Amino acid sequence: CRCRALLSRPARRLRARRGLAAGPEMHFGFQTVTEEERREKIYQVFESVAKKYDVMNDSMTLGIHRVWKDILMHKMNPSPGTLLLDVAGGTGDIAFRFINYVRSVRERQLQRKLKHHQNLSWQEIFESYQKDKFNSLGDSQAVVCDINREMLKVGKQKAQHLGYSEGLSWVLGNAEELPFDNDKFDVYTIAFGIRNVTRIDLALQEAYRVLKPGGRFLCLEFSHVSNPLLSRLYDLYSFQVIPVLGEVIAGDWKSYQYLVESIRRFPPQEELKTMIEDAGFFKVDYENLNFGIVAIHSGFKL
Amino acid sequence: IRCQHYPPVRALQASAALRRASDEHKKEPLTSSSQQHFDSPPAGHQPEQEPQGPRPSYTGQGGQESEDYESEEQLQHRILTAALEFVPEHGWTAEAIAEGAKTLGLSVAAAGMFHSDGSELILHFVSECNTKLSDLLEKEQRLVQLGEAEKKPIDEFLRHAVEARLRMLIPYIEKWPQALSVLLLPRNIPSSLNLLTSMIDDIWHYAGDQSTDFNWYTRRAVLTGIYNTTELVMMQDSSPDFEDTWRFLENRVADAMTMSNTASQVQSTGEAVVQGLMGAAVTVSS
Repeated sequence: CRCRALLSRPARRLRARRGLAAGPEMHFGFQTVTEEERREKIYQVFESVAKKYDVMNDSMTLGIHRVWKDILMHKMNPSPGTLLLDVAGGTGDIAFRFINYVRSVRERQLQRKLKHHQNLSWQEIFESYQKDKFNSLGDSQAVVCDINREMLKVGKQKAQHLGYSEGLSWVLGNAEELPFDNDKFDVYTIAFGIRNVTRIDLALQEAYRVLKPGGRFLCLEFSHVSNPLLSRLYDLYSFQVIPVLGEVIAGDWKSYQYLVESIRRFPPQEELKTMIEDAGFFKVDYENLNFGIVAIHSGFKL
Repeated sequence: IRCQHYPPVRALQASAALRRASDEHKKEPLTSSSQQHFDSPPAGHQPEQEPQGPRPSYTGQGGQESEDYESEEQLQHRILTAALEFVPEHGWTAEAIAEGAKTLGLSVAAAGMFHSDGSELILHFVSECNTKLSDLLEKEQRLVQLGEAEKKPIDEFLRHAVEARLRMLIPYIEKWPQALSVLLLPRNIPSSLNLLTSMIDDIWHYAGDQSTDFNWYTRRAVLTGIYNTTELVMMQDSSPDFEDTWRFLENRVADAMTMSNTASQVQSTGEAVVQGLMGAAVTVSS
């Protein structure tokens, strides 16, 4: 099979070099490495792709990743006043969308209030503004947390460039051990990040810990395509086109090889659903996008 | 790190208990399967907890076991009931549900458990109203049985039942048209139709055996027609205390009664005619 041919070359080189016996065996793409090695390698992957991350996303998914992220935001349907934690949020795509969404909901809210007040005098309307602490975000906040300094840097630059000033915070942190207190956030999202977490169960437990009771866990991630025809086309595209794009656009074949392999190694929808339930979440459900190329898992802390 | 181990274990217990309960059947096995962990029944706990404002966490440390064993459905019911208070302001929307969740001490994100068009909230409300109506009719029936009240004639009974049920809409009357349109969405029609027909059947059940002129289907159809048309009239009624609506209702019920009389008259006339013909035939033949 095509996959094995790709796998054989890098794996042999790696095992020969490392004589360490640190930690249990894990997968890094199609290679087998120890836990420590995996974390290190993934850090290096993202360090090298950080600057070209968004460009590569657009070219690999033909821009469809934007639609996926929009769908995630619609599913979340946040109301003003929501506190969002976006883990592995690196370049801030989810956080920016969150700010936009909440801002438009808030505008509609204020418009509706105004309609109600149409029979009041100008004076009373003005006074009600003072009372309401007229803020365009309605006290919503998004915290972007990422383990990789480079990705956060790119994200902060993007925020400045796009003109996002309020409602955003950037924190360096590890999904397996978040630097936040218990019961803090309304929504926890991890978009295309959980695949890179070494101990998914720990990340899920941390997600459970930092969420408020009633809080929601949302995970957007590449998943398994069950349709056989589509699956073959998808494999073809993944293994033939994406690494080439990686080399041409970002000058980094290996990182994108890792990306494609890590997608294949990630647990399928049902298995991830079980893992989320094991962490303590209720009403766990998933929605396939594009026949399973991507799936959104959702759970509640009840 | 101490905290990290604690929640998952307890959560597993809760989710396992819930899964066991949902595999069997809803409420009874839930309480029996959690008997070993219970200190006190939830009914005793909750009235004390709720007035205190923000609820203790569901994974709370120490002594909060009873909340973990409330099923997801019961929690959803409580959120929806709490959300009703916000409907006049926000309409039948996810926002009202979010506000309701907030009053229970839950995050606003809990509204994500429900559809964003408020379908579940409306269906929950309708179901609650129907239950209230049943309880009311049951109580009145008991009074009649004990001899403390007069049994109403059928038309008055129907008028009273429909009026009582429609009066429950009054606090939400401004946003009710929106609710009606949501109930007509194809997705919701099975449930809303179900609720409607069971309410109508309930009313006829408590009306007793006075109406033997109609058969079962006709009775259902007639009362459903009366109820739906009166509801629509109520939406557009601006008279004080909806007097116009109740007058409309009175007329519709009277029509229905007349129709039944007419029907029985037609039937007896028909029988008389047939008998006459038979007699004539016998006379002619002999």
